[in-house]
Amino acid sequence: MTVFIARRLLLLPLVGIGVTLLIFSLLQLLSPQQRAALYVTDPRQLQAIDAIIREHGLDRPVYIQYVQWLGRVLQGDLGWSETAKMPVARAIATFFPATLELTLYTFLPIIALGIWLGTKSAVHRDQVIDHFSRLFAIGGQSFPTFVWGLLLLMVFYGAWRLFPPGRLSLEANLVVLDPTQFRTYTHLVTVDALLNGKLWIFLDALRHLALPVITLSLVQTATLVRVTRSSMLETLRQDYVRTARAKGLEEPRVINKHARKNALIPVITLSALLFVGLLNGVVITETIYNYPGIGRWGANAAIQLDAPAVAGFALFSALLLVFGNLAADILYAWIDPRIRLG
Amino acid sequence: MGVLAERKPLRPELAVTLSTWQIAVRRFRRNPLSLMGLILIVGFILMALLAPLLAPPPPNARNPYMMPHAGYSPDPQPPRPGHPFGTTEQAFDIYYGIIWGARTAFRVGLLVVAISVLIGIVVGSVAGYFRGRVDEFLMRVVDIFLAFPGLILAVVVVAILGPGLENVLIALALVSWPGYARLLRGEILSVRERDYVEAARAMGAGDVKIILRHILPNSIYPVLVVSSLDMGSIVVTAAALSFLGLGAPIGYADWGQIISLSRNWIIGAGGNAFAFWYTVVFPGAALVLFTLGWNLLGDAFRDILDPRLRGAS
Amino acid sequence: MTKTRWFMLPVLVAALALAFQPGLASGQAVKNPDTFVAVSFGDWDSLDWAWAYDTASFGVIFNIYEPLIFFEGGRMDRFTPMLATAVPTIQNGLLSKDGKTYTFPIRQGVRFHDGTPMTAEDVVYSLRRFLLTDRSGGPSSLLLEPILGLTSTRDDKGNLILKYADLTRAIRAQGNNVIITLKEPFGPFLSILAQWSYVIPKKTAIARGDWDGTAATMRKYNNPKKESMAFFEFANGTGPFKLERWDRAGRQIILVRNDNYWRTPARLRRVVIRQVDEPATRILMLKAGDADADLGVTRRELPQYEGAPGIRIIDDLPTGTSTNPAVFFTFNIDCAGNPDCGSGRLDGAGIPPNFFSDVNVRRGFAYAFDYNTFLQDGFRGKATLAKGVIPRGMFGFNEKQEYFTFDRARAAANFREAWGGQVWERGFKVTVLYNAGNVVRELGARILKDNIEAINPKFKIDIRGITWSSYLAAMDASKLPVFFIGWLADYPDPHNFTFHFMHSDGTFPHVQKFKNEEVDRLVTAAARETDRAKREQMYFELNRKYFELVPSFATVNAIAFRVQRSWVRGWYWNPMFPGTYYYTISKG
Repeated sequence: MTVFIARRLLLLPLVGIGVTLLIFSLLQLLSPQQRAALYVTDPRQLQAIDAIIREHGLDRPVYIQYVQWLGRVLQGDLGWSETAKMPVARAIATFFPATLELTLYTFLPIIALGIWLGTKSAVHRDQVIDHFSRLFAIGGQSFPTFVWGLLLLMVFYGAWRLFPPGRLSLEANLVVLDPTQFRTYTHLVTVDALLNGKLWIFLDALRHLALPVITLSLVQTATLVRVTRSSMLETLRQDYVRTARAKGLEEPRVINKHARKNALIPVITLSALLFVGLLNGVVITETIYNYPGIGRWGANAAIQLDAPAVAGFALFSALLLVFGNLAADILYAWIDPRIRLG
Repeated sequence: MGVLAERKPLRPELAVTLSTWQIAVRRFRRNPLSLMGLILIVGFILMALLAPLLAPPPPNARNPYMMPHAGYSPDPQPPRPGHPFGTTEQAFDIYYGIIWGARTAFRVGLLVVAISVLIGIVVGSVAGYFRGRVDEFLMRVVDIFLAFPGLILAVVVVAILGPGLENVLIALALVSWPGYARLLRGEILSVRERDYVEAARAMGAGDVKIILRHILPNSIYPVLVVSSLDMGSIVVTAAALSFLGLGAPIGYADWGQIISLSRNWIIGAGGNAFAFWYTVVFPGAALVLFTLGWNLLGDAFRDILDPRLRGAS
Repeated sequence: MTKTRWFMLPVLVAALALAFQPGLASGQAVKNPDTFVAVSFGDWDSLDWAWAYDTASFGVIFNIYEPLIFFEGGRMDRFTPMLATAVPTIQNGLLSKDGKTYTFPIRQGVRFHDGTPMTAEDVVYSLRRFLLTDRSGGPSSLLLEPILGLTSTRDDKGNLILKYADLTRAIRAQGNNVIITLKEPFGPFLSILAQWSYVIPKKTAIARGDWDGTAATMRKYNNPKKESMAFFEFANGTGPFKLERWDRAGRQIILVRNDNYWRTPARLRRVVIRQVDEPATRILMLKAGDADADLGVTRRELPQYEGAPGIRIIDDLPTGTSTNPAVFFTFNIDCAGNPDCGSGRLDGAGIPPNFFSDVNVRRGFAYAFDYNTFLQDGFRGKATLAKGVIPRGMFGFNEKQEYFTFDRARAAANFREAWGGQVWERGFKVTVLYNAGNVVRELGARILKDNIEAINPKFKIDIRGITWSSYLAAMDASKLPVFFIGWLADYPDPHNFTFHFMHSDGTFPHVQKFKNEEVDRLVTAAARETDRAKREQMYFELNRKYFELVPSFATVNAIAFRVQRSWVRGWYWNPMFPGTYYYTISKG
């Protein structure tokens, strides 16, 4: 097991280098002027482009810039993100907790709803519930996220004033930012609020999380429904389920005890990857709800060609993925002893 | 399965026989959802093919994909005679956009799928057939591409190349190919050990010939299933890129672009929240139905080809 | 799961809705009565005024720090003393007769936010530091030129050419006065100073590792890194508000009232400026009362505010500070590997690199633009037709100047003459560019395309939007054949426009590769002229030249507007303000 984990961890620097190499190769397509233009915000500064190119060493070949960047990374310096106006490492540390919090709260409804609907679909294959859940899942996935986002915002905030955009209300925000009134432990506002004993901030944060969570769930549940459904279908056909049925066990017991546990294996694998996949979904959701997370920053950095930010973001998501995969594999091995022993 | 064994075709490795079609027809007749998927897609195909008839481009138009506009009115206008689906801001005709948008959707979807499948085939077959270090290396390259969140990678590529549909195509193909490579590799790994492959090798057939004639035709079915499911998601991802300003230009007949224009009108005008419903509903319906159709079709394909997926014994 | 469970869901939602008691629409009580929340769109670059060159940053800076003189009320041509006690004029003797020496008596009894007193020494330090900083692409040249006659503190190789002796001679303290000596008299000097003379505390700067004011360390603090400057994210000024926090994670800046302000303290206790990217979200926030002003709103979204309860739209605000957009031609395009030139030859499938060097081509384009439609549909009628590079409302604007109108016949006539008739015969294909996301410029490009193509079927125009940073890079490389862009005045003087639009060293002619020696001479002379009437005539002459030579052509001058909650009081408009001046504002 330890060898297994160690081997996977060794993968990380390889994948990390590979990912950043990919980004820098893509950036190779840009001229030095295009890369310098990131630091120039207005045409009146155009005459400074040459100076900027020189100062940031942008006229040196990209592979040299890459090697220098890599050297600094190994010393812990990921560079400066112009779009965040702070060092890249600090930007990631600043924005990631918000996305993490959002993702964690989205996980629960996605998995619960996905597994429940998927199971129901498989068990009642080709009946009304199956059709409905498949249509619901596909519908959620095929509308662009921002359409759901704005519609929900209009109804739940514009009309009903129930769930506002942003992360916290003004009052809660001012308290959280004040070190004399609020101690930050985890950077997850809900958790910290509870640790500080301030229930009203906890509830306030939940209220603001509602809309992004609902929007993300709508879009991401589909994948889980589909996988659970096919996995359950697969399992329900297996011999041991038929045996259990033949033995006369009630259907719910058959499903709950035997089928579901085995069907969950690919679901667990998928869940870990779903986490990273959510990084895609949060980009637009965070923009619409003005939720200050890493997806919005990453997309913005990409659009403005903030090279150090994009490279740092790539590195970070590779890291997440490798750990996510590792976690999934460990869980997988823990559930299915055949793999552990085999 | 039993039907196949009785047939004993001359080329046992080719699993597509009459029995498949029979299964297919029975499936579509029995399952209303699959039938619906088929009807939807056929409908869209007809819409795309007949576009010049259904929505004739204006006489001097250099590019029929640019939606016609009578004037430049900054506000969308509701459906009215001459504009059955209404117009967006800058007076683009939504009906025209929906019809020609079907062509764009197919172009984008099919091209992305074709390119990614092609790259995926090459990489996957080389990796799966030759195994060993080549396999390790290629799979690491695939891992590297997959380690990056797809949308962000697409955004980086389009930001570098510049906004526009061609660049969106390239970006989406770059994001999709690794999935196909992995899929094909897996299939090839399972197929390469089969009897007929051994037989072919024993008879002295070259590697490329074996791959092309024996292995690929049997590995291709999952690709069919996955790519039909992908068609919808590709078009929706392209819409996300349009939302970020990186897609087709304003006025291009692309559902994603049309619906991203609605972003400023979804919350409606001063008093009436749904004043501009048509800017969302029509392109949205097109997107949903297109994705739905391909999803249902993909599911149908999977169920039809199921026995083949499990592999002929 | 039984059937009854399904019923619970809508009941639950309804219960929730009732429990939260959704807000009342109109007649809403003032939310957060002592806190002003502004929602905006645009990143803050730096809070250090020696670095910043964007309106977002200055929108915050000018509430925290104060200049020597300020704009009087809503006027951009009249000044009022701020940290100085008088505005230098020849009449009051504070400006020397030769127009070169300005004396500013410094106000006594003013304290910085940390309680330390503000002295003439701080003023001198602030100004010298601004000149020394001169970061690449920064604003320092605005004062470097008139004061020291330099366009940059560095030579081509990057060596510092600024001399300490010159710096200290030009800007010095004498008792409680600060004396600034210019190289040449410069009419707009005071208007530049009204936005670029903020006073920072010398002691704080030094304590935070900034320049100590001596010659020895000058080299180190020239062209510094943005984040290493003392006041990048830390503030200590004399203004009516203090910086409480720049919350990078939450993308907001929080200001708090300075209770020891040298005038009556502000009424607002707190100001929160939040970045909200999505226009629809900003609109909903304002309607809900969670925000008090939408600083990022454009005319396109305005109908969504009209008639909304609790919202006040203040329209028809005079500007006169921007020419936006104008259409520019590149006289010598870099066509190497440039798809926008097409074939690169005058063969109907492209344009040669010097296509626009023929004035007939440029005039053809200028007459082919439908200005009125652009005004109606791009600005909802809230704009006026431009008469040249100087905007309406600025000194030097000539209402009677003949200017381009939409005239198909004249456009066709010009095209027929272009390049000896070859343009008309063979046709051309060119791309008109704009920055992606800018809907107004995109509309302008489309109008230009539609109208030119209607003149001759052999004329083919494509329009293309590219992302902002690529746009600037392509502009710098002279790759854009014809493009839309605008200009916002640095200071309210026509020189800022004539220089950057017409002088060969200016921003645009530099990338357009346009040079006319007579124009250069006229621009420089007009800046130096001190007699107002003579000066006006010189700008009228420049307007004529702009029309005659048409290196670019202006389209419209937009009219400004403001959207805020109706409970906001005390707001006033000044076209030169980079943002909202919160000192006079209250809610209720």
